[in-house]
Amino acid sequence: MFRQPWRKAKERLRLFLSECGRRARVLRRQSNRIDPSSRFVQGFRYGYWEREARGLELLKEWLSPEQFAQYDTKSYFEVTGCHSGKRYRISHGTSMNIHELDGAGCPCVGWCFAPKGYLVAGDVMLAQKIALETDERGALNVANKFFVPTSRRNMHLHY
Amino acid sequence: MATQIVMDRTGDTRHNFDAKKADAILKAEERFRELTGAGFTAAVRTASGEAVVKRTFDPNAEETLFFPRLVGG
Repeated sequence: MFRQPWRKAKERLRLFLSECGRRARVLRRQSNRIDPSSRFVQGFRYGYWEREARGLELLKEWLSPEQFAQYDTKSYFEVTGCHSGKRYRISHGTSMNIHELDGAGCPCVGWCFAPKGYLVAGDVMLAQKIALETDERGALNVANKFFVPTSRRNMHLHY
Repeated sequence: MATQIVMDRTGDTRHNFDAKKADAILKAEERFRELTGAGFTAAVRTASGEAVVKRTFDPNAEETLFFPRLVGG
């Protein structure tokens, strides 16, 4: 029932974010422009949307072509754990966004870990991808496990 | 020009350096040691696009990405 409005909202958000990224790139090219916020707090030189866009740009540079296509259309991408060969789905977000997939490609259990500190979603997802692809056991050792509701186990999650 | 990308609260900070200059390489190596010593993980991309974690400084790496220590959420 809510699927259609949810998809529309997601599409609007995606367009809004890509527009923000485009504007951020234009602003960055104007080197003589002074960002008023940079005079006060150096760490917060960039606005929220610009930071988000930078993070997403970096993520997209590091995704494989298949992962990029998947993320572009579905807002998630899948990776293979380097030790177990299991598949994991990393959805857009900064926490509780990793799901281990069963043989049928359905989420069976959730894993929650992220780089320390306040990072934007693109950076968090990229760190999660690299961790699972290069040191799966190390990543899962620090991760917290969460259970996927039974009602959602048999469906392909689309956030 | 080689680049070291450090994830931080601004999205990322990029340090470009000329990999042909000895002093630039020394500085980059020092940055690598400082960051990995502080718990950051360094990763590079292979020609095939695969990510590989580096424990020691690689002066030939075109792009090295550093992300902070992982913690449970």
